Amino acid sequence: MNRLRRRPLAFWAGLAAAVLSLLVPIALNDSQLTVYVFIGLSVIVVAGLSLLMGFAGQVSLGQAAFYAIGAYTAAILTRALEVPPLLSLAAATAFTAVVAVAVGLPLLRLRGHYLAFATLAFQLIVLSVIGEARGLTGGDTGMPGIPTLSIGPLAIQGQYRTFIYAYVTWVLVAAVLLFNRNLVRSRPGRGLRALATSEAGALAAGVPVVRYKLQVFALSAAYAGLAGGVYAFFVSYIAPGSFPVLLSVQFLIMAAVGGLGSIWGSAVGATVVYLLVQLLQSLGTGPGLPPQLPAILSYAVYGLVLVLIMLFLPQGLLPAIQGRISARRAVSAVESPARLARLD
Amino acid sequence: MLEARGLTRRFGGVVAVDDVSVGVAAGELAGVIGPNGAGKSTLFHLIAGHLRPHGGRVSFAGRDITREPPDRRARLGIAIAFQAVRLFRGMTVLENVMVGAHAWTHHGFWEAFLRLPRHRREEGEILARAERALERAGLGEAADRLAESLPLGQQRTVQIARALCADPRLLLLDEPASGLRAGERERLADLLRGLKEEGLSMLLVEHDVAFVTRLASRITVLDHGRVIAEGPAEQIRDDPAVIAAYLGRSRERADGA
Ligand SMILES: Nc1ncnc2c1ncn2[C@@H]1O[C@H](COP(=O)(O)OP(=O)(O)OP(=O)(O)O)[C@@H](O)[C@H]1O
Ligand SMILES: [Mg+2]
Repeated sequence: MNRLRRRPLAFWAGLAAAVLSLLVPIALNDSQLTVYVFIGLSVIVVAGLSLLMGFAGQVSLGQAAFYAIGAYTAAILTRALEVPPLLSLAAATAFTAVVAVAVGLPLLRLRGHYLAFATLAFQLIVLSVIGEARGLTGGDTGMPGIPTLSIGPLAIQGQYRTFIYAYVTWVLVAAVLLFNRNLVRSRPGRGLRALATSEAGALAAGVPVVRYKLQVFALSAAYAGLAGGVYAFFVSYIAPGSFPVLLSVQFLIMAAVGGLGSIWGSAVGATVVYLLVQLLQSLGTGPGLPPQLPAILSYAVYGLVLVLIMLFLPQGLLPAIQGRISARRAVSAVESPARLARLD
Repeated sequence: MLEARGLTRRFGGVVAVDDVSVGVAAGELAGVIGPNGAGKSTLFHLIAGHLRPHGGRVSFAGRDITREPPDRRARLGIAIAFQAVRLFRGMTVLENVMVGAHAWTHHGFWEAFLRLPRHRREEGEILARAERALERAGLGEAADRLAESLPLGQQRTVQIARALCADPRLLLLDEPASGLRAGERERLADLLRGLKEEGLSMLLVEHDVAFVTRLASRITVLDHGRVIAEGPAEQIRDDPAVIAAYLGRSRERADGA
């Protein structure tokens, strides 16, 4: 597989990023660690969305719905049914994927912005179902007292709670990114990349286009469900308000910033956008400022970021940077290393 | 091998393919010719499953495949190189060709995720076959270039390599020589002859009538969606109906210009 092997530079950059992200939690205080966990959970969701949008060419505006389904499934299983947390997390991930298959069967026949609207509608339905099913979900007041993650008698709690969650999230992020990388460089991965540019060509080559689309949709939902489950255990209180439509928009923008179909770009996009939003929220919540300001600011920023990305970096932040670097190192101008490096 | 009977396909008022029957025997290279808009590409799309026929049946290796979707037909052994090139952008020539191996490989998401044995084994086989297909098509040099960066003629040849990587039993070639220079044309003719000797069944559409008559044992001539002549190559060349169709068209074109 020499031809497909990644350039050494990208490998070292990836390794450096991995080591750095592993060391960072040691230097962070508790509230910074909380941000670290939230960024990690966003990376997991975005890693799935980026596959869906970049490879199946489908836009989902309802990814926060899958996040919510994962969170509520994990919470209900552990709290009401006393299922061990780790098992609940696995069940939440699997259940979210099953819901995605059921929803995706009819929806994936829609193209472009129709699917975006349909997934948006799906999220609104999910939120109102959660709001109505008070007996199970606590309705609009939410579900408090969700147990923390534990393995047998070992529970994540006490002084180092957030610190340990940071590493749990890190491991999941690493696993998800590694999964994606493995997928992209494989038979099904090539099939997905193929169907993104020519469905007829892919079909003629024997790629089961509809099944593959459904599978990435389910995969992206499973990632979101997994992240949602961890979120529920971490914050121990969830309500419909934790999963607004704005969150779906945020995931979408993170994916666009990172570069659709760019695996490591998901991590970059999620981090950059999350920190930017945090920064603006802290600016917008000073004394004497109207309480709606943060929300207005985040909408404004989302819109602005999206426009800027489309204008200047249509292929996303990380691929653009990679392109710069490899263009400088390239010997021949005929090949386009920027595009070649894109999937690494 | 292939048996298409009474195929009909309309687009609005236009009957693009009208009650057409063609067949390809095992190991045969059959040709289809006809003037522009005669319905050749439409016929190919019906055979490969990209269009639904409004009438008629297609059977392949003794099995009725009229209702099978194109990806299933690919798995059964039908490969196609389109006239309107359909390659995958952002992927190298080699990767494009490797996609063709979907037809005979099996591993899916889980096996790829977890790097299970079947994934490892198949990936090795896919790469080996793809490289061989590229060499045969004379594109070994271009393996690492992006498919869309090649000239259109060579992109058609990449499609042939992709089709060969599928290890097909029937190869449909829709104007594979168009856009190729004289030397490349010769190479293509040699490749097709070689494939024929190995026993691959092929159906070839070409505008270059000389190119087809040199290679094909039997030729079907289409005009306005209908079969106007059918038979051995030598006989077709002298068929008055065929000459009339071609001359008529070129006269129409001359008048229009
Ligand atoms: N998708 C389509 N929608 C509408 N009309 C179509 C479509 N495809 C083909 N046609 C029409 O069907 C007729 C046959 O077209 P087809 O492409 O099969 O001809 P062809 O013999 O391959 O021509 P050429 O030699 O130019 O490739 C033409 O009149 C064409 O305009
Ligand atoms: Mg044609």
